[in-house]
Amino acid sequence: MKTGIKNDFTLMAILLIPVCVAINMVGFQIAQLLRLPIFLDSIGTLVIAMVAGPWVALVAGLITNLINSIFNPVYLPFSLVSMAVGLAAGFLSMKGMFKKVWKVIIAGIILAFVSTIIAAPITVILFGGVTGSTGGAITAVLLASGQQIWTAVFSTQFIQEIGDKLLSAFICFLIVRNMSDRYLSKLNYGQIYMKD
Amino acid sequence: MNSVIKISNMSYKYPTGKVDVLKNINIEIEKGLLYAVVGPNGGGKTTFCNVLRGFIPHFYRGDLRGEVLVNGKNIVESTLGELSLSVGFVFQNPFIQISGVKETVFEEVAYGLENLGVHPDEIRTRVEAILKLVKIEHLRDKNPFELSGGQRQRVALASIIVMEPDILVIDEPTSQLDPQGTEEVFEIIQIMKEKGKTIILVEHKIELIAEFADRVILLHDGEIVMEGTTQDVLSDEKALSYDVMLPQYAMLGLELKKRGVPLRKIPITEEQAVEEMNWWMAERGVRI
Amino acid sequence: MSQAAKTNYILNLYPTTKLLFTLFIALSVFIVPTYWYAYAMLPVCLIIAIAAGQGKEFITLVRNGLLILLVFIFLMQAFFYPGAQILWQAGILKITQEGILYGLNMTSRILAIGSAFILFFRITSVKDFVYSLEKLGLPPKGAYVVLATLQIIPEMKKQTSVIMDAQKTRGVETEGTMMVRAKAFLPTISPLILSSLASTEERAITLESRAFSAPVKKTHLYEIYKTKHDTVVRIGMLVALLILIAGRILL
Repeated sequence: MKTGIKNDFTLMAILLIPVCVAINMVGFQIAQLLRLPIFLDSIGTLVIAMVAGPWVALVAGLITNLINSIFNPVYLPFSLVSMAVGLAAGFLSMKGMFKKVWKVIIAGIILAFVSTIIAAPITVILFGGVTGSTGGAITAVLLASGQQIWTAVFSTQFIQEIGDKLLSAFICFLIVRNMSDRYLSKLNYGQIYMKD
Repeated sequence: MNSVIKISNMSYKYPTGKVDVLKNINIEIEKGLLYAVVGPNGGGKTTFCNVLRGFIPHFYRGDLRGEVLVNGKNIVESTLGELSLSVGFVFQNPFIQISGVKETVFEEVAYGLENLGVHPDEIRTRVEAILKLVKIEHLRDKNPFELSGGQRQRVALASIIVMEPDILVIDEPTSQLDPQGTEEVFEIIQIMKEKGKTIILVEHKIELIAEFADRVILLHDGEIVMEGTTQDVLSDEKALSYDVMLPQYAMLGLELKKRGVPLRKIPITEEQAVEEMNWWMAERGVRI
Repeated sequence: MSQAAKTNYILNLYPTTKLLFTLFIALSVFIVPTYWYAYAMLPVCLIIAIAAGQGKEFITLVRNGLLILLVFIFLMQAFFYPGAQILWQAGILKITQEGILYGLNMTSRILAIGSAFILFFRITSVKDFVYSLEKLGLPPKGAYVVLATLQIIPEMKKQTSVIMDAQKTRGVETEGTMMVRAKAFLPTISPLILSSLASTEERAITLESRAFSAPVKKTHLYEIYKTKHDTVVRIGMLVALLILIAGRILL
C-alpha cells in the first residue's frame, strides 16, 4: 500500500480523525470522572498514529486542540505539542515500537520527552512557567528551592507527562491488538498490526 | 438485450479471507427491471451489492477476478466518485447512514446534491419533491441524530434517490421497519421503477418480492444457483433446498399440485392465487 | 444562536471580519506598551459580548479558563522574576518591582488575547466559520472533518455516561483507591473506542454513496454573505491599527 503525506489521507483516515479527536476528549472525561491524576487525553491521537500514520495523527492532534480552545484559548499554543506527539507516535509505530510491551515502554518515554521539549518553551515564554494549578505548584516549589526556571519547568512537565504517556501508549497497544485483520486491512498502516 | 450491468466470470476474496465469497458470477442486469436478490445470510448478497457499487474492489480491496461492467465501463477503471453518479446505494444499518455533518433532515437529504454540484435553487426543489414522495415532510427540521431507525432508513433512501442515479442498489431497506413502513418503502421502490430506474434489491420479505420484482437472483454460498423471472424462481421447489422461503401462495399451489389439482401455473401472489382458484373452480363447474 | 443571528448586527458580521477583530486585539496589545491598554480589552470584549447577547457565557468562560491561571502566573513572576528592586523579602522568597511589572504585562496580554478568542467563538458559529474558511480555500475534506468532529463529541460523551453506568452495575469499581479507579479506565474506554472505530467503515460507505468524492465542484445550500457592515468594521479596524502604530512611533 502506498504511504506518505500524499497518500495517507484516505477516506477511512479522514473519517477516523473525528472519532479519534472525540476519543481524546472522552479519555480526558473518564480520567476526570475517575479522579485520576493524569490526563489520558491523547489516546485517540496515538491510536490514529498507529493505524493511519504520522501525518493524519498530526492533523488529529491539531484539531483536538483547536476544538478545546473554543472553550479555553490556553489550549491553542499547545496545538504544537499535540501535533508533535501525533507525528512522533506515527514514526515510532512505523518502526514497530508498539508491537511488544518493552518497546511500548520505550515509546512512552520517547513520547513524554517529545511532549516536554515542545511544551516547556511554550509554558515558559507564553505563560511564565505556569499552565495549571498542580504543575504551577510543582514549578513554584522547584523555583523556590533555587532551580532555574527552565530546569524547573522541564522537570515539572516531564513528571506530569511520563505517567500519562506510558499509560496511554500501553492502552493503545492493547486496543490496536484487539482490532480485526479485516478492519486493519483497510488502513494504510494497519498491516503492521495484522496477525498474519 | 439492453443491459446496464454485465458481470462475467467474477469471483472475489476478501483481503483477509482464505476462500472466495463470490464464485464465478455471470449475469446481465437489464435496464428498467427490478431484481430481487435472495438467499440465506452469509450467502454473499451484501458482498454482491458492494461489487455493483464498486466498493469492492475500491474500498474493501481484496482479490476481484473476472469482469464487471457498469454502463459499459469496467468498475476497476472507474473511481468511486464516478460511480456515485450512476449507482445509488442504500444499505442495512440506518443508524450510521447519515452524513454526520448536517443538522436537519432537509440539509441531510440535500447533502448528496451539494456534493454533485447542483445549483442551490434546484437542490431545494428536488429535496422538497423527495421529502413529499418519501413522506418525511414532517421531519424536515429534525436533527438526523434524533430519529428512530425507521425514520432514518427513509431519510437514507430519500438522500440517495434525490440524486437520481440510473441504477439503485438497495440492501435490506426494510429490516428496521414495521409493516406500515415496509409498505411505504415498497411504494417508493415501485415509483422508482416506474421512472425507469434499474433496481437491485436485497430483501427477505418474499411475499413482497413476489409482488414487485421482475426477476429473482438466488445467491447461495457465493454462487448464483437460480436466476430467472420472479414467476419461475418463486414457484420452483428447488429454491427451498437453498434455504429460501417461497411465498405462501406458491406453497399452497405446490401442495395442491402434489395432491393432483391441475393448476395452469403455480401462483406466487394473492391475486394470482385467487385467479387460479377461480379458474379451477369454473373448470369444475363451481359458480361463485 | 440562529434565531438571534437574524437580528443582531454583531452576530451577523461575516466570520472572518470577527476573526480579524480578534487578531486586531492580539496585535494591538503588542503595539501599545502599557498594560492598562491590554487590561482594558477585557471590558471591551465583555461589552461586545453583552451587545451580542452572550455576556453571561463570556464571563463564565473567562473565569473558568483564565482567571486562576492568571493569578498563578502573576504570583510566579512577582516572586521569581529576577530583579534588583526588592519590595518584600522573607528568607529566600522575595517580591521585586521588576517581577510585578513583568507579571502585569504578561497577564494583561494573556487576558486580552484569551478574551478576544473566547469572544470570537461566542459570537461566531463554528459552522459559519468553517464555511468561510472553505470559501477561502480550505479543502471540503478538511471542512468535513471539523464539522463531523463537532457532531461526534456530544454523541460520544453521551455514550460514555451510558457505559460508565453499565460498568458500575456490572460491578466494575469506579470508587476506592487510585489503583482501583485506574483499573476501571480500560474497560470503560475500550468498548467505546472499538465500536466508534468500527463505525467509520460504514460511514465511509455512506459518504461515498452521497458522492463525497465525486469529481465535480460542490455547491452549498447554506450561504453567508459579507454586508456593508463588514466593510465598515474592517476599515475601522485598519484605521485604528494605523493610529496605534503612528502613536507608538511618535510618542
